[in-house]
Amino acid sequence: MNKRDFIAIGVVVLLSVLGFVFFALKGSGGQTVKISVGARVYGTYPLSENRELKIKTDAGYNLVEIKNGRVFVKDADCKDKSCVKQGEISGGSIVCLPHKLVVEVTGEGDFDAVAR
Amino acid sequence: MKRIIPLLLLVIILCGCSVTSTYSGSFFAMDTYMTITVCGNNPEKAVKKAEARVKKLDEAFSAHNKKSGVYKLNKNGSAELEPDAVELLSLALNNYRITDGAFNPAMLSVTELWGFPDKNYKVPSENEIKSAHKNVKPEKITVKNNTVKLNNKGMKIDFGAIAKGYTSDKLIDTLKKEGIKSALVNLGGNVAVLGGKPDGSDWAVAVENPDKKGSYLATLKIRDKSVITSGGYERYFKKNGKVYHHILNPKTGHPAESSLKSVTIVGKNGTYCDALSTALFVMGKEKALRFWAENGLDFDVILYTENGGLFVTEGVSDIINSDFDYKVVKRSDYE
Ligand SMILES: [Zn+2]
Repeated sequence: MNKRDFIAIGVVVLLSVLGFVFFALKGSGGQTVKISVGARVYGTYPLSENRELKIKTDAGYNLVEIKNGRVFVKDADCKDKSCVKQGEISGGSIVCLPHKLVVEVTGEGDFDAVAR
Repeated sequence: MKRIIPLLLLVIILCGCSVTSTYSGSFFAMDTYMTITVCGNNPEKAVKKAEARVKKLDEAFSAHNKKSGVYKLNKNGSAELEPDAVELLSLALNNYRITDGAFNPAMLSVTELWGFPDKNYKVPSENEIKSAHKNVKPEKITVKNNTVKLNNKGMKIDFGAIAKGYTSDKLIDTLKKEGIKSALVNLGGNVAVLGGKPDGSDWAVAVENPDKKGSYLATLKIRDKSVITSGGYERYFKKNGKVYHHILNPKTGHPAESSLKSVTIVGKNGTYCDALSTALFVMGKEKALRFWAENGLDFDVILYTENGGLFVTEGVSDIINSDFDYKVVKRSDYE
């Protein structure tokens, strides 16, 4: 191999590392809360900002609160209230099956899935 | 110009999943929320194939979908089942035998008395339980070609405690056939992974803390494995101050009084892990650990007890990370 080869390999390695760093950083702007109803994304919000979301759909009503880095369903008019019982999370997801509502914490977490 | 090819190869190797890509699809099926995450070439196509497979299995296994063979079987005592359902039934019956009845796929008529399937919870009378329970005789079920006969009036089968594990196995197969080498399948908290993560590291799967939702008993580093948890905390109701959870003891027809809050099984075969998570919960701590010591060459166990103790079998001790003071259980403890 001559000098030009080394330079070419060096450039490729550098580009790859930059690409890797870019993709690694892209996912990590802090954790976000993604709320979806059925197949539709309702909205995404930073987990670090406190807020209250009143989500009314044809299926029913859920009150979602983001507070101090945690998110929970504060109130809902579904029959089993299991979304409310699921409590506060800072990773993984809360699901309201009757309303097809999913509150999901994504981004740099310490794990990829929760077994339950 | 010849140099270009090895250079391109180098780029592909170094970039890993940033050249191929990652796609994640979520949907509702089997009364739960599912997410399939795939890294590879054309991951979206693989996820769509997997999703279609789930929908088909859901229809084949459902005990309440009027179009399903299982529904017809329970209604008429005899029916032709989908080949997948026939296979799952034989796996379920095999787990019934090896767990000495702690896993029982023929308890539906008793489960219905408690109102668990339709969430109209009630405490049945002792007589009601007895009369439904005496019909639970899985030994009587016969399978010929794809036709299943229950041969016992009043007995009903359901795959609720094994279907998701089986489905995750089938999905991993589907993804492998699509050439995928890195994937995570999360079927409402029943987790299976194929290979490692796109960046080459292990997948990290947290085990939920039954005492505090949103906190975790432990995190496990895995590849090519399933992690499946069962516990009374998943579904229960309260009546007159008493808690009734959804995992019935097949021997009594009452919620299992097991001294355990949750059981997590880690192993290569999701179907087996799913059935065992329920069976070992029913067995309780001592029997469960003995079962592991005698049978556990291809699975490991994490037990969380009513009084907050965490017990892990030796195979998980080097993949676990936990803030709890856990005790490692060794096979030699049971010799
Ligand atoms: Zn709800």
